[in-house]
Amino acid sequence: MLNHFRRHALRGLAALALAALATPSFAQMKELKVSAIPDESPTELQRKFAPLGKYLEKEIGMPVSFVPVTDYAGVVEALAAKRIDMAWLGGFTYVQAKLRTAGTAIPLVQRVEDEKFTSRFITADPAIKSLADLKGKTFAFGSPSSTSGHLMPRYYLLQAGLTPEKDFKTVAFSGAHDATVAFVQSGRADAGVLNASVWDKLVEAGKVDTAKVRVFNTTPPYFDYNWTVRGDIDPAVAKKIRDAFLKLDPANPEHKELMALQRATRFVPTKPENYQSIEQAAQAAGLLR
Amino acid sequence: MLLSRDSRDPAAAGRLIGCMLVLALAWPIGKVAQVDPAALLDPANLKVAGGFVASFWPLAHDTFFLGLLRDAVLQTLAIATVGTLLALLIAIPLAVGSTAALSVSAIGPAPRAIWRPAVRQAVKALTLFLRGIPELVWALLFVRVFGLGPSAAVLALALTYGGMLAKVFAEILDSVDRGPARAILAAGGSRTAALVYGLLPNAVPELVSYSIYRWECALRAAVVMGLVGAGGMGQLMDQSMKAFNGGEVASILTAFLLLVLAADALSNLLRRWMDAPPDALHKRIVSGWVLALAGALVCVSAWRMIGLDLGALFGAHAGSDIARFLGEFLPPAHDLPLLGKIASGSLETLATSLVGTVLAACLAAVLALPAAGRCGAVLKAITRFALNLLRAVPELVWATITVLAVGLGPFAGALALALHTCGVLGRLYAEALENAPPAGEAALRTSGAPRSLAFLYGALPQVAPQWLAYTLYRWEINIRMAAVMGFVGAGGLGQALYYELSLFRLGNACAIILAMLLLALLVDHASAMLRWRLG
Repeated sequence: MLNHFRRHALRGLAALALAALATPSFAQMKELKVSAIPDESPTELQRKFAPLGKYLEKEIGMPVSFVPVTDYAGVVEALAAKRIDMAWLGGFTYVQAKLRTAGTAIPLVQRVEDEKFTSRFITADPAIKSLADLKGKTFAFGSPSSTSGHLMPRYYLLQAGLTPEKDFKTVAFSGAHDATVAFVQSGRADAGVLNASVWDKLVEAGKVDTAKVRVFNTTPPYFDYNWTVRGDIDPAVAKKIRDAFLKLDPANPEHKELMALQRATRFVPTKPENYQSIEQAAQAAGLLR
Repeated sequence: MLLSRDSRDPAAAGRLIGCMLVLALAWPIGKVAQVDPAALLDPANLKVAGGFVASFWPLAHDTFFLGLLRDAVLQTLAIATVGTLLALLIAIPLAVGSTAALSVSAIGPAPRAIWRPAVRQAVKALTLFLRGIPELVWALLFVRVFGLGPSAAVLALALTYGGMLAKVFAEILDSVDRGPARAILAAGGSRTAALVYGLLPNAVPELVSYSIYRWECALRAAVVMGLVGAGGMGQLMDQSMKAFNGGEVASILTAFLLLVLAADALSNLLRRWMDAPPDALHKRIVSGWVLALAGALVCVSAWRMIGLDLGALFGAHAGSDIARFLGEFLPPAHDLPLLGKIASGSLETLATSLVGTVLAACLAAVLALPAAGRCGAVLKAITRFALNLLRAVPELVWATITVLAVGLGPFAGALALALHTCGVLGRLYAEALENAPPAGEAALRTSGAPRSLAFLYGALPQVAPQWLAYTLYRWEINIRMAAVMGFVGAGGLGQALYYELSLFRLGNACAIILAMLLLALLVDHASAMLRWRLG
């Protein structure tokens, strides 16, 4: 509790300091540098980004480049060190970015889909029918920094009375959602958990043997992914970016491909408050200092 | 009179007890490393790993991918070259600073300078620190500070290899004849003069030859660091691995093996050239200049290739970035739950290194016989090739495959260590066998002993101390590798470090890095003691 107050006090101080410094003198930006957490393979991320980058270039009137990063925490650190201006973050990585930028990082928009995101627990072991059956088993999370592959599943496991490090035989981190499926399918992990949307995609593409691997639990919905800019970016540019995203319309044939690649039906504004429950879950799960 | 054959083995009792003791010790260690031979033979696992290896053929060879691969190869070369160059820049002053060969006070009545030995000790400590932290840990940290790409790898190489080179350079300087340097110092010459005219002429061939050897190692290290996002072939491999694209992985591995073989050949050529007889001196000077020029050209193009912006690397902004990032590591955390985690991680890492080394030694002992030419020329060629293949693939790359074969966890790490180390030890064991005096074994054979017994009692006792010493040396290397295996899902301290770094609990990460350092030092100490006792 004391920690909690102290952090609030610190954040207040940081805000004051920023307000004192906030005589806006934004250096003229020449280029918008964008990155994304590697929840999919880096080549796939770049392919997905190409049309979006072109669209943003036109809308905000400056060159947009994509900086590939292979490590979740690397993206957070890049945003905090101002090596990138904007990033596609998961709920938990956004909270990390917020804390590492003294609360200045600004979440701009998210897909409607991100407002109700879920994770799926999967297994190939017929004996596992509920979370309680996981006791004494080998369990695979995705990346330690993943919201849907680690934080929220861990939170709901704790709520169900299971402490992974105590109750599971081995806790493994596969590193990525598709890798988790591979480990469960081969029986190398008795069970695992991943992002619902990646699971659905793999099933649609026929990349999972559904006769063997099945979903035995799905988490309640939570807020996930968003597009975040660093806090000291020129507010005019930030507004242009937000407007550009909100203007995207699946009925417009020019936008259709771009939105399909982003697997978005529509973009909506988002705000830091949306992620309070994620932050609380991270606190409860002991994943924040 | 013909000697009657005694069916009793005179050394059997002792050896049996020894084996039982080792087994009794091995049991708990194997438990910690989660050794599970059944997992290796489980048909489901064999199918997954086998399927993955089967997908290696055909090799990926579309033009787009080959373009990527070519760039990655060039980048890896550039990382290794620039990294080694920077390491030399770090190592030379450190080596000169820590060598006792330039100590004025060691020569005789000298101006009182109490601080000089102190400086030497401080420099030695710095060297120890630099080489104590594996380059992969540095790379992981620098990837966070500088972002993805070769800069992180170059800097990581520069620091770790700087420390390694400094230590060996200092040892070389210490071991060459100090007479000339001492004479110059005693005659009132400056230290610089003593170094340049007294020590260097005798030490240069060895210094250069070791630097070339390090460059060769740097190539392998550059690939491995790519696995944590520091550019080059490793990064490409990581992407292909995550996508389970066997054809691409196989193409990258092939390119890597060719690169390593080429580097090996080049470094042999250079070293043989260094040892050329002095009568070819004139020719050597000419070709020396040609080589130096070519080398300089390669370095410049390597530098341009990776676009390493030293200004950005050492500029004010980067400085404050590093300071801010590294500042958060202090003080190291030391709460009880963390210490418990570190203790179990250390145990797991230690067990992994032990199991890996012992498995490797057993395999290597078996393979050393054909590799030493005891089973015919054909088998010799085949086993030599197999050993080279095992050795050429770095431990971490093996780990990405063994993780598929036996699942995430320390056993996969131990297997990966075993595969690579077996390649190294097999070759060393075979060479020891070939160089051992044949008299004992021949005598046993002529007195009628069967081949197996002649080997066990004639040859083995002669090579055993050497085999043991090599094995202990490899254990020192393997404890460091076992500590970072966790980055690819093989448990131990590495996994704990990756986890804490991902959650930005840098104080915890610092404590884990310190534990790695301590564990490596302990193993060094234990190994040195064992070697001393056995030697």
